[in-house]
Amino acid sequence: MESAVTEKHRMVDNIAISYTGIFDTEILSVLAKEIEGTLSPDDKVNKKVFKIFIELAQNIAFYSLEREANAEGNDTGVGTMIIRNFDDHYVFSTGNKTTMENIIPVMEKCDNINSMSREKLREYRRLQRNMPAGEKGGGNIGLIQVALTASNPLEYSLIKCPDGTYFYIVSVRIDKE
Amino acid sequence: MEDIHISGFKDCYIQPTVDFVESTGECAISGESFMEETAKFYWPLVEWVKEYGKKHNKIVFTFSLTYYNTSTSKWLLAILKELREMENEGGEVTVIWHYTPDDTDMNDDIMDYMVDTGLHINMVPFDEP
Repeated sequence: MESAVTEKHRMVDNIAISYTGIFDTEILSVLAKEIEGTLSPDDKVNKKVFKIFIELAQNIAFYSLEREANAEGNDTGVGTMIIRNFDDHYVFSTGNKTTMENIIPVMEKCDNINSMSREKLREYRRLQRNMPAGEKGGGNIGLIQVALTASNPLEYSLIKCPDGTYFYIVSVRIDKE
Repeated sequence: MEDIHISGFKDCYIQPTVDFVESTGECAISGESFMEETAKFYWPLVEWVKEYGKKHNKIVFTFSLTYYNTSTSKWLLAILKELREMENEGGEVTVIWHYTPDDTDMNDDIMDYMVDTGLHINMVPFDEP
């Protein structure tokens, strides 16, 4: 079994669904339908991928540095999503532009999440959920939920762009059952 | 106070169906909930429950959500906390939660809601009445 990291260098192989552009509600619902309806013959796996998609796509919508107005004129994040299909698992990845300053806490959060057992993660999620809901989109719980749903670690990488910004990629493996 | 009726739809904006009826104390949220702006949608619902709790002492609240995002989950907790408040004030509170038995995430979630609020949640599988 290969990990998402060793597969990273051949990102273009085995693509089942990919999308690059704005992540507004309309696009989200189209992609969600595609995932729920057609990805795999196993509804339970589709549901897992769907849940992970919603959380990571909403993180792009809220936090991507690259932004565009959608059809209604609302400011929306731009990013990329790729689902790759392997024999016994899928790898779900999203990528978006960011700054070093904004992404360091997110990467620390991923490391923190990866160090926790399922029980600890649930406790952490409860803690975050009890915090006041002032924060944009509640993105803090999203990554915890992704790790819980996938039952696999979050893998991330950062690519420096020529304009001095960074492209942040987060991947997670979803096992077929 | 006025009853709340919101029709759920998921083609463009993904919001649940809401039925809050003051005269019977029967309240339900059903469908799927993964809109981006959860605060705009849920804030009035939390306020309604709070207001209802000041005037009445009996409520039956049913959650029939097949999926909700984590942003929604914060607001569901806010509603449950209002229900707990009502119970603490001597109200008769019944919470029913429809769930899919093989959805581990949701089952864990409901357990965690019980721990967080101290409310008893009646878990009923989706295919049972």
